[in-house]
Parts: sequence; structure tokens; C-alpha cells
Amino acid sequence: MGAVRWGYGIAVVAAVVWGPGGAAAQQSATQDTLGMSLTTQVNDLDQQIRILQRLRELAADSAAAAAKDKVTATAGAKDGFSLKSADGKYVLKLRGYFQSDGRLYPGTEVPGGVDNLLIRRARPIIEATVARYFDFRLMPDFGGTAPAIFDAYWDGKFAPQFTVRAGKFKPPLGLERLQSATDIMFAERGLPTNLVPSRDIGLQVAGEISEGVFAYQVGIFNGVPDLANGGDDLSNAKDFAARVFVQPFKRGPVRGLGFGMGGSTGFERGTTTSTGLPTYRTPGQQTLFRYNASTTTPANTVFANGKRIRLTPQGYFYTGGLGLLGEYVISRNEVTQAATTAELEHSSWQASGSFFLTGEKAGFRSPTPKKPFDLKEGGLGALELVARYGELSLDPASFPVYASPTASVQKAKAWGVGANWYFTRAVKFAVNYEHTTFTGGAATGDREAENAVITRFQTSF
Amino acid sequence: MKTRLFTLLIAATAVVPAAGQSSNKPVTLLNVSYDPTRELFKDINKAFAADWKQKTGQDVTIKQSHGGSSKQARAVIDGLEADVVTLALAYDIDALHDVANLVPLDWQKRLPLNSSPYTSTITFLVRKGNPKHIKDWDDLIRSDVTVVTPNPKTSGSARWNYLAAWGYALRRPGGNETTAREFITKLYKRVPVLDSGARGATTTFVERGIGDVLINWENEILLGAKELGADKFEVVVPSVSILTEPTVSVVDKVASKHGTRAVAQAYLEYLYTPQGQEIIAKHYYRPTLASVAAKYGNQFPKVPLFTLADIVGDWRKTQKTHFADGGVFDQIYQPGR
Repeated sequence: MGAVRWGYGIAVVAAVVWGPGGAAAQQSATQDTLGMSLTTQVNDLDQQIRILQRLRELAADSAAAAAKDKVTATAGAKDGFSLKSADGKYVLKLRGYFQSDGRLYPGTEVPGGVDNLLIRRARPIIEATVARYFDFRLMPDFGGTAPAIFDAYWDGKFAPQFTVRAGKFKPPLGLERLQSATDIMFAERGLPTNLVPSRDIGLQVAGEISEGVFAYQVGIFNGVPDLANGGDDLSNAKDFAARVFVQPFKRGPVRGLGFGMGGSTGFERGTTTSTGLPTYRTPGQQTLFRYNASTTTPANTVFANGKRIRLTPQGYFYTGGLGLLGEYVISRNEVTQAATTAELEHSSWQASGSFFLTGEKAGFRSPTPKKPFDLKEGGLGALELVARYGELSLDPASFPVYASPTASVQKAKAWGVGANWYFTRAVKFAVNYEHTTFTGGAATGDREAENAVITRFQTSF
Repeated sequence: MKTRLFTLLIAATAVVPAAGQSSNKPVTLLNVSYDPTRELFKDINKAFAADWKQKTGQDVTIKQSHGGSSKQARAVIDGLEADVVTLALAYDIDALHDVANLVPLDWQKRLPLNSSPYTSTITFLVRKGNPKHIKDWDDLIRSDVTVVTPNPKTSGSARWNYLAAWGYALRRPGGNETTAREFITKLYKRVPVLDSGARGATTTFVERGIGDVLINWENEILLGAKELGADKFEVVVPSVSILTEPTVSVVDKVASKHGTRAVAQAYLEYLYTPQGQEIIAKHYYRPTLASVAAKYGNQFPKVPLFTLADIVGDWRKTQKTHFADGGVFDQIYQPGR
């Protein structure tokens, strides 16, 4: 419309200026009128342009203000489902993982072990960041015989070099224990994990220096038996735990090398009803050692009664698709049965290795497949082969006063092989074969070797 | 050992709040205010801090937040921790009670003059020479006039502008709600841009060069005319306008949480003092203290003023009738037309 009016004006002006005839006075008056008309039109157009520019400016301001207040919602395999405030100070993550296992014991009559399909872990996870510096994590598990809280803690993340954690979480000890259950090489952790606690309630200070070249954790905990998921304390005494871990070449060509040492010390005073003592398992999750206990003659029940010390040197090395992990654990406990007391020292070690056939880089955490499973795109995911060997030695002084030589083994040696198929970062299928031989543990001498095939279908997000 | 550890922890936690209760510890207030009061409260804050320091020995820092009055009230309701609010109209502070119970119902009775330490009115700013010959409200609905005023849904100033026009229309011969509605409808057809606040509208008119007339606070108009470009603009005082009454309040829940109630109360009371009223007048707000009002009488045009009660009623009724979703403004204003 404006263009038409402009064209009309220009045509009229042209007609006046170059058209034939007409008095000079008439021409002058007409020119004045047209000039005013054009000025008005120019002013109107100028206003329209200014208005449009201002409206665009205000729209941009509104958009910027809206973006400032906008909560970001994301979903992905790495962080689950999350809501994040515009300033990043508040974050809510809904995550979780689910493991459905099959356990078969071919060719063996394992004590208590039957071929079984089970829900190994069903763990929803709620994580939140509050006011930038404070994180919270809650992780129950519905996969066992009864629901249980595994993680329930808050973190104060004041600086990479200094963080504070309080609540229930993994004490800083076993290397494989500190690895997430979704990231471990085998479906079940190896023998050394028997000798460190699973979770304990406590307060921990931790930090990383030089971007993780040196890491430390130190804390005070209620103190729980080996392998236990801790709750209330049995006594006033507390455990102190600490761990240092070094990755000296984190910025260099062998950045995947890490080694360290964890340890704990404390006292435990159990009773004949709450013994404060552990039970140990094979990689196939069958009991291989337990302290003597009697419900009919409580005085025969063994209980923790004194110092408890753990020490665990550990390390890993990752390069390309190759991963190696090793650890050694000593767990020393003072125990009492009736009038007799002893300090028993159990030890265990393992070395495990993995290799990706599909080109992914091995690491302490699960990889993201280079070609995630996608039938349309031809992706098959990532394939990893794993193998390990480990031993567990129970203190000979345990037998027969504190543990039955016919029910508990004196030594276990286990090797295992397996394969992990990562469909995507979130979905994994694993199949393991574990062979464990024993010294002692049966009325006739040595317990029959255990063959276990474990399959796992895992989803995590 | 365990008992001793817990005793130490309890003692440590007891020491921290005790240390925070020192009366001479520096204190900070947040004043959440409406759009055009930036300069006013910058000077008030400086003067009050000096006065408070002299009286109590305590250092006080007052932080400011400005925006459309209703948007500011919404921000406080949503968690902006204002120790005091100084907003364009009482309804926005009523909302702090109604929605979030941050102030008591009778908040307006706690300070003199219904918690309105200064007043203003609504006038016009036109371009130098008044090329469109704008003299009164009737000129604003002419088809050749473009009007700049902010959005009544977000701006306290805009509501006062709207109500001034509404009141004018009611008071015309034969005026009633129907004719007032027709007048307002025609007026907003002349408005091409709705800024969210008074300062934004001033920017639209003064800096962006949009429109023939700006309707705004008298203080903003006088500031625009005298300091933003005296050679570019002229003030036009309509035949009649509305008495605007910005209001102030301590935000009780926040002040109690921060432990700032005493200094917040003193801050607002300072606005009523001769010193405070002088600063108010210098920024073209109408002082309420008679002596200061007399001193600065020549600064303010003589214009008959009607009040909100004269034309609609109280703010709750006004809000419900005119500015709530589906109210008169929503019915008469159609963007883009």
C-alpha cells in the first residue's frame, strides 16, 4: 500500500515537473501541497519503522526475561530426567537403574544355591542441587528381600579441593566397591569386596587437587561389618576411614593410570544377638564363610569385640580399549566366643581385565557405544570381554572355635570370564561364567567347586 | 568421648547465631520499587544511611530493584526477599498479603497518610512546539495523534494513566461508565506500543522518538522535560487529573527473617521527615509535609485532582473491575488494532 502511494506521489511530481503547459503559480502551489503530503508520508513511515523497531526491542527484552526465568527440562542416559533453574543453582534429577539377573549353577550342588531368576537391583535415584553448593542424593533399593536405603546423603561442594558429605554412603575403601554397580566389569564384584563395607553412616571430607591428579577422602563413620549396608551403630565407638588416590599422569599419555590406598580403623562391640560380624560370599553369591552362631546356646555365638582394621592398596590402568583393575584387602577383627578372644586377619585380592572389541575406550565408568544399537542405522552397540582371578584367605585361627571348618571354607580361588554387550549407554546385557574352588568347607574336606553362570539385563538412566 | 563431641558441636552451633546478633553489625536492606524511582531512592538511600549511622553507629546498605510495579510485587511474592517495598499503588502491596501473607492485612495503617509518603499526578509530555496542539485528554483520541503509555497489566503508572483518563471521561458533561468506556477504547487505539513500565514508556517516547504524547507520572514528565531534553519537549498539564498515591511497607516476613525490621521501619519513616521530603520534592514527587510542599509549590503545576475513591472506589474493586483478567482493559484493548 505504501509503495503504491509513493509511486503515485512520484508520478504526480513527475507530471508536474515535466508535464506540458500550466502556469508557474499553479505549479508552485501544487508543489507545496505535494511536498507537505510527502513530508507527512515520510513522517508516518518513520513512525511506523520506529514502532516496529521498538516492538521488536520489547519482544527481545521479554524473551530474554522469559529465558532468565526458564526452567530447563532434559532427558538422557547420562543424567536421567532433570529440571534445572535458569541460573543453574537448583537442579532436580530423577535417575535409576534396574538389574534383572539369572543365576545358574551347572554341574554343581552348591550349598543353598538353586538356579534362580531374580531382581538383583531396582534403584530409583533422586538427586538435587540446592542453592548451587548443596547436593542431595537418595537411592533406595527394591531388589532384595526387603526395601532398603543404600544412599541418603547431602554434599556441600564448596570447592573441588574441599567437599563435605554427610549421611549414608560408601566409605572410602574398596576400589571395586566404590565403582557403581552399573559400571563394574562383572555382574558381581570380586572376592575382595567381601572385606570392605557396602554403606555406612558418617561424615566425610573429600577433595581433588590438580583436577584429580590427587584425591583424598577422610571421614568418621558408625562402623559396620565387612560387606554390610550399615544402619544404627552397635556401640559408642566410631570408625575412621581415609583414602588417597593418585592419577599422576592424568594429563599425559598414560592418563588412565591410578593407584592409591584406603584404610579404616575402629572398635566394634557386638553381642551374641547383634554380632557385628560379616558373612562372606562367592562370586556366585553363595555363602562361603560365616562365624559360628547358635540360637540354642547363645554363649557359642561369636561376636565382634575389639579393634577392626582394614587396609586396601588398589589401582587401575586404562588405555584404549584395555582396562585393568586390581586390589588387595586385609580385614582384621577382634572376636570373642564365650571366654576366648582372638584377632583374626582375612585377606583377599583380585586382578581383572577387560577389552572392547568395538573400539570404545575403557574406563572406570561405562562407555558410550560408538555405534549405539539401532537396527535402522546398523548400529550394534559395544562389546566388551572380561576376565578376572581372585583369592580369599580366611585366617586359619578362625577354625574351629570361631567358624566351622565343615561349613566355612578356609580359602577360595575364583576365576571368571564374561562378555558385556552395551546396546546403548543405558542398556547392557552381561553374561559371566565364574568358577570357584575351595579349601575346606565340607565334612569330607574341600567343598565342591562352584560353577556359576550369571546373566544380567541392565537399564540405567 | 561421644558426649564431649556432641557438646562441642552444640557449643559451636550456638556461637554462630549469637555472633550475628551484634547490633552494630553492618546491615543490608533490599528496597523493591517501581520503575521511575531509581534516582529518588539512590539519593534517599545515601541520606538515610548517613542519618542511621549517626544515630546508631550501624552501617546500612540499601540495595534497589526496579521494574513495573505489579511485576515487582509478583517477584516479591515469588521469593525476591525485599525488606521493604515502595510500589506505585496500594493494590500491589495488598497482593503481598493476599497471595503470600508477607504483610498483614492492615499494612497501610502502619505509617502516616495511608503509608503514602508522597504523591504525584498524571500529566503529558509532548514534543517541542507541541506540533499536534495537544492540550487536554480529548486530544489524545484524535486520529492524528499517537499516544505512549505503558501496560496497565504490569505497570502501576499505566493504571494511574488509565484511571486518570477514565476519571476525566466520567467527569465530562453527560459522562458515565458507558461514555468512559468508549473514551478509553478510543484512547488505547492510539497506543502502538505498551511498555511494561513507566521508565520504558519514557524511553519509547524520548529516546526512540515514538508518538506525539507521553502520558506518565508527573515526576517522570518533569524529569523528561527538564533533564532529558529541555529543548525537545514540553509539558502539557491537562484540565484535570488524578491524585496518585504510591505506597510503602515493610515486608514483615522477610524483615523478620533477616533481622532488619527496625532499620527497615526507620528507612520508611525517614521518607516522612523534612530531609526525606526535601529529596522527594527535588525529584519532582509531590511532598506531603506541608512546609516542604509550600517551599516547592511553584515546581508543580496547579491542576484539579480527583482521587481513586471519587471515580471507582478502593484498589481491590478497581483491580477487579478494570485490570483483572477479563476486566475492562482486556475487553477494550486489542493489540495490533
